[in-house]
Amino acid sequence: MNVLPINALSSLIHLAQATPAAKSFDPIAITNQLLNGVGIIGILLLTGLGLSITFGVMRIINLAHGEFIMLGAYTSFVLQSNFKMDLLLTIPFSFLFTAFIGAIVERTIVRRLYGRAVETLLATWGLSIVIQGVVKLIFTAQLKYVKAPPYTRGNWTPFQIGGQAIEISYYRLFIIFMALLLLGITAFLLYRTKLGREVRAVTQNRDMAKCLGINTSLVDMLTFAYGCGLAGVAGTVISSLKSVAPPMGQDYLVDAWMTVVTGGVDKLVGVLAGAVLIGESNAAIAYLINDPTARVIVLAAVIVLIRYRPEGLFTVQKRS
Amino acid sequence: MAEVVGRIRQANYVPKRWLVTSLVLLVIFAVFPFVAGEFQTNLMAKLLLFGTLGVSLDLVWGFTGILSFAHGVFFTLGGYAMAYYLKLNLSATANNYGGTLPDFMVWNGLKELPWFISPLQYFPVAVIAMVVLPAGFAYLIGSFIFRSKVSGVYITVITLAISSALTTFFVSQQAYTGGTNGITDVSKLILFGATVPPIGIYFIILTFAALVMAGSWWLTQSNFGLILRSIKENEQRISYLGYDVANFKIFIWTLSAGIAGIAGGLFVPLNKFISPVYLGVAFGTQIVIWVAVGGRGTLFGPIIAAILLGQIQNSVDRITQDWQLIVGVILVIVVLFLPDGLMSLLPQKFLSKKSSQLSRSE
Repeated sequence: MNVLPINALSSLIHLAQATPAAKSFDPIAITNQLLNGVGIIGILLLTGLGLSITFGVMRIINLAHGEFIMLGAYTSFVLQSNFKMDLLLTIPFSFLFTAFIGAIVERTIVRRLYGRAVETLLATWGLSIVIQGVVKLIFTAQLKYVKAPPYTRGNWTPFQIGGQAIEISYYRLFIIFMALLLLGITAFLLYRTKLGREVRAVTQNRDMAKCLGINTSLVDMLTFAYGCGLAGVAGTVISSLKSVAPPMGQDYLVDAWMTVVTGGVDKLVGVLAGAVLIGESNAAIAYLINDPTARVIVLAAVIVLIRYRPEGLFTVQKRS
Repeated sequence: MAEVVGRIRQANYVPKRWLVTSLVLLVIFAVFPFVAGEFQTNLMAKLLLFGTLGVSLDLVWGFTGILSFAHGVFFTLGGYAMAYYLKLNLSATANNYGGTLPDFMVWNGLKELPWFISPLQYFPVAVIAMVVLPAGFAYLIGSFIFRSKVSGVYITVITLAISSALTTFFVSQQAYTGGTNGITDVSKLILFGATVPPIGIYFIILTFAALVMAGSWWLTQSNFGLILRSIKENEQRISYLGYDVANFKIFIWTLSAGIAGIAGGLFVPLNKFISPVYLGVAFGTQIVIWVAVGGRGTLFGPIIAAILLGQIQNSVDRITQDWQLIVGVILVIVVLFLPDGLMSLLPQKFLSKKSSQLSRSE
């Protein structure tokens, strides 16, 4: 209860700004700031993707999403400190582990609460407290550090103009690459496979899908597990940006929610749009004024957006 | 229709049993500080305050069906109003920093008191601000979001965003709000020329809690309360009957924020500080937990839950730091197996038939 949510976005911008941004109209600095925004987009996309699966497809308000991110980060930490594994190699393990935990949670808790959105929300919040507590018992509240792979260190400098460089760190590129890759894989699974077709059928009309012989309870479990697995991968990728600690998931929860709600949940592209909008407007306003103001303005804008388009920006109008 | 309304009120009307219970509880709470030590008195005062805060959330959630994570925000706004008053009067008397400026303002290089804070050094202004600030803020938000097709989950997401945005804002405005630390080292509350002792604060809080309970009881039993509960059950139907649902929601939302603000104001002399922690999503959720565990749509539920969980925390804290884990487990168990909260454990005979039917959620 006494954990102050440090906000993920602004601390990331802090990380990025080794040199304080000049306030004048400097095209190089602006470009760099927009490239920083690309890193934020990657993080928002990674953290929002899993949520858009569980919320968009299953209408489950999963407040423990941040804790699955945290579990993914801890999986990487354990594998790295015990087996000296490369961060990239730990990704499948954290996916499988968090997906497994997700499946258990679906079977034991979420399943009993289908159709009761508020109850699910409360139960998953309780679950998030429990997961945090258990992780704290095992690993203590001490901050842990995960090393980034050596080949992602340093900055990529596409070109230089008069001594000033336009650059973006390789890790940021790695994050956005991973985010887009996962988005692509998810889109493929959802729109090009039999399972994806079943998932979409269940989303559109659960009873009808059941009548057609789709095992809806299995689909539910797999979908929830997949959403949690994505959160785990996000946790692994993010883990070396900052320290790993039990409350870290909380930092990402609100931002992930805003991303998902902004873009709308009916189509996967909505998450991408939400991430781009929030990430870039955050970076731009942070450049013009400062980080906290940027966050407040962006959140206020999201509230206004929800007020006028609760179904998100990229949603087909449906007759319900 | 009048007859229907009348009948439900009749069925709901259980004054005697509840009146006796309430009076017995009130007497127990009034005797409590003389039996328990100062530590327990302060703890109980805090828990009563949290319980009352829970009741204010219950008015909008349990009775009207709007789940809000922003009640910590209203609580904290009221708290800051009172904290500025106490802080400004401390520096006026102690004069530690070579002026009347609070320490955090001096550290952040402010030369004089900002115009929007200086009126708060007068007690009446602070007391009014403690209610008007949160209620006004709630009114603005309420009129913005309740007059639209936004409903259910999205309202909840909006309250999350509000809580998160204000936390960032208060942390960033270090010169004016004291940043992450908030306003600390405040003076003791002085009323009518005398410093109020801890036991005095306890009784102020007890009176406040009793008034809120009585007022909420009256409100929820009235026709107005009936409409609120109907909104929760079937919003569309109520609007077809000719009621302006948005107005009812805005009213209860604003009223509830005002109560939360007063609770926040009373919290400061007790707690000796206020900080952005109470603005955050975590504290907002804590309030939701009290209401959920105690029982939505019941007035005693949130208070019982706040006291019970608080006392568990207090006793477990001595053994282990991981009491949050226990709260999490309790929450999951309550949601899964006891959807109507601890209050539903009371024998059905004790509860009126109608109210137990009506208070079932969704």
